[in-house]
Amino acid sequence: MRINGAIALVILAGTPVWAHRLDEYLQNTIVSIEEDRVQAEMILTPGVAVFPKLISEIDTDGNGVISREEQQAYAQRVLNDLFLAIDGHRLNPLLVSMQFPPIEEMKEGRGEIELDFMSDLPRGERNRRLTLENHHERAIAAYLVNCLVPRDPAIRIAAQHRNYTQSAYELQYEDSGVAPATSSLSFWVGGLRWLLAGAVLVAASLVFRRRRRRDPVSAAGAW
Amino acid sequence: MKSARIFRASALMVLSLSSAFGQAATQRIVKAANTFLATLDAKQKQTVMSAFDDEQQRKRWSNLPTSFVPRGGVSLKEMTEAQQTAAMALVSVALSPRGYEKVLQIMEADEVLKTSEGNGGGTGGPGRGRSGGPPQAGRGDGTPPSGRGDGPPPMNGNGRGRGPGGGGANFGKDLYYISILGTPSEKSPWILQFGGHHLALNITIAGEQGILTPTLTGAQPALYTSNGKTVRPLGQESDKALALLNALDENERKKAILGSRMADLVLGPGQDGKTIQPEGLKASDMNEKQQAMLLDVISEWAGIVHESAAAARMAELKADIRDTWFAWSGPTSAAAGSNITAYYRIQGPHLVIEYAPQELGGDPALHVHTMYRDPTNDYGRKLVAK
Repeated sequence: MRINGAIALVILAGTPVWAHRLDEYLQNTIVSIEEDRVQAEMILTPGVAVFPKLISEIDTDGNGVISREEQQAYAQRVLNDLFLAIDGHRLNPLLVSMQFPPIEEMKEGRGEIELDFMSDLPRGERNRRLTLENHHERAIAAYLVNCLVPRDPAIRIAAQHRNYTQSAYELQYEDSGVAPATSSLSFWVGGLRWLLAGAVLVAASLVFRRRRRRDPVSAAGAW
Repeated sequence: MKSARIFRASALMVLSLSSAFGQAATQRIVKAANTFLATLDAKQKQTVMSAFDDEQQRKRWSNLPTSFVPRGGVSLKEMTEAQQTAAMALVSVALSPRGYEKVLQIMEADEVLKTSEGNGGGTGGPGRGRSGGPPQAGRGDGTPPSGRGDGPPPMNGNGRGRGPGGGGANFGKDLYYISILGTPSEKSPWILQFGGHHLALNITIAGEQGILTPTLTGAQPALYTSNGKTVRPLGQESDKALALLNALDENERKKAILGSRMADLVLGPGQDGKTIQPEGLKASDMNEKQQAMLLDVISEWAGIVHESAAAARMAELKADIRDTWFAWSGPTSAAAGSNITAYYRIQGPHLVIEYAPQELGGDPALHVHTMYRDPTNDYGRKLVAK
C-alpha cells in the first residue's frame, strides 16, 4: 500500500520519493577469469515497479513463498538467457550457488538475488576472447558487467568491450602460462627455426675445430 | 653529502611531525569516544559497542534508508541532547572541517527529503517542535561544536520528538546511527561507524593512522536551499570531475569516456574485497596539471577524514597517481550550478572511487551515490595484518 502510494507520487509529481530502484531490473555481473575456468557473480535487483511482473515468474505457484525448486528453476532460466563463449566456442555455465531475499525485501526494491555460476575453460591459445551476452528480461534490464583483476599473475586483461546497454560484453585477455599448442602451425614453424639455428651452430663449431687442428698457433693467439 | 644529510633529516622531521600529528589526532578521537560512551546507559553502551572483528556489524551499512536496512548502534533519535552532542563531537573530531560539513549537509538533505515527502507517507501528525537551523560544521579539532543551532543536528525541540509524518520514519537527520567496533584506544585498532540514508562512514583508527574506507556518501536532494543558500553536498565531486574532463584533449577524452551506460555503482554495499579491472584514461597519459586535477577530485573523498590521516592518504595516492585511471560514462556537460548526470570512476592500486547519479524516476542530478574504497585496506585490514 505504502509502495503503491510512493509510485503514484513519483508518477504524479515526477520526483523521486524512494531511494531505491523503481522501473528497472539491475543485473550486475562480475566475471572472474582463471587459467582453466571462468566464474561469475550476478546480483539481480528488481525495482519496485517491475516486481509484480518478476515475482509471478519466480513464485510460479503464487503461494507467496519462493520454494527451493522455484529458486532453482528461476536461476536456470537466468542462465539459459546468457550466452557465454570462449574463443567463439559456446560454454555451458553451471549454477554454483544462489541466494534469494525474502519477498518483502524485493517488494520494497531492496532485495538482491545472488547467483554464482562457473564454467570450465578448454585449453586454448595465449590470447583469448571471452564473450558474455545477457538477454535476461531485456525490456526492463539495467545491465552492468565487469571483470575482477585476475589473481593469477600469468593472466593479463588486454581489453574489455561492451555495447551501450552492457548486454553484450567481450573480454580479451592473455594467458602467458599457456604452453604453445603442439598441433599448431606456429609451433612447427618455430621448432624448425630452432632446429636450423642448432644445425648452423654445430657446423660452425666443426669448422672452427678443424681450423684449430691445422693452425694451433693462430688459434691460441686468438684467445 | 651535506645536502643528503639535510634531506634525510628533513624527511625524518616530516615523518615524525606527521606521526606526532596523527598521534595527537588519535588522542583527541579516543578522548571524544570515551566522553561519548560515558554519556550512555548500560543498555545503550551494549548496543553501540561490538567486537572489532564483528564482520556482520562491519557490513551493516547501506545507501538505503535505515528502515529498509537496519544499522547497528544507537541512532541520534534515540539519544538525549547531551548524548547527541557527544556523538557528533566524536564524529567531528574524526573528520576534517570540510568532511564534517559534508556529512552534515548529507544529513540535512535527508531532512529536506523527509519534509518534502512526509517521511514515507507515515500516518502520524505533525511532529512536536521543529528542527533547528541547519547543522554547521564543528571545528574538527576536538572541540565539540558549540552555540545554538550549531554542531549536532538539532532534532525536534527536545531531541527526541518526531518529525512530520510521524510513524514509519524513512528519512530525517535524526536517523543516523553510531557504533564502535573494538575499544577506543590510542594503540589497538578500533572502528567508528556513523551512517544512515546516503551515508556510511567506516573509520578505522589504528595508532596514529586513520582509514576511512569503505565509505559511502550520497545525497537526495543533491541540491537544496538552506537559509537562502544553495547547498550541494557533493557539488565539488561533480564540478572538479567535470573540470578534469574538460581539461582533456580529444584523444584523452576518447580513452576516458566509456561507450556504455553505467546504471549504478559497481562496487557498492556488499561488494567488499573486490578489485575490478580499471578502465578509461590512465593518469600516466595525463600531463602534470591534469594529474593535479585528478588528485584534487580524489581529495574530496580522501579529505573527509581528519587532516593528518588525510595527508598520509593523499601522499599514498599521489605516489600511485601514474597507475590511477579515470573513466567517465554519460553526458559531458552540466547545467550551470547543477550536478553532472554522468557516472565516473577513479581507480588506482589503493583506490576505487565511484560517482553514480541515480536514475530512479527523477532528475539524476538531484540524487547521487558515491563509493570510496581501498581494496587493499578496507576496514584497516592491511594495518591489522601487520
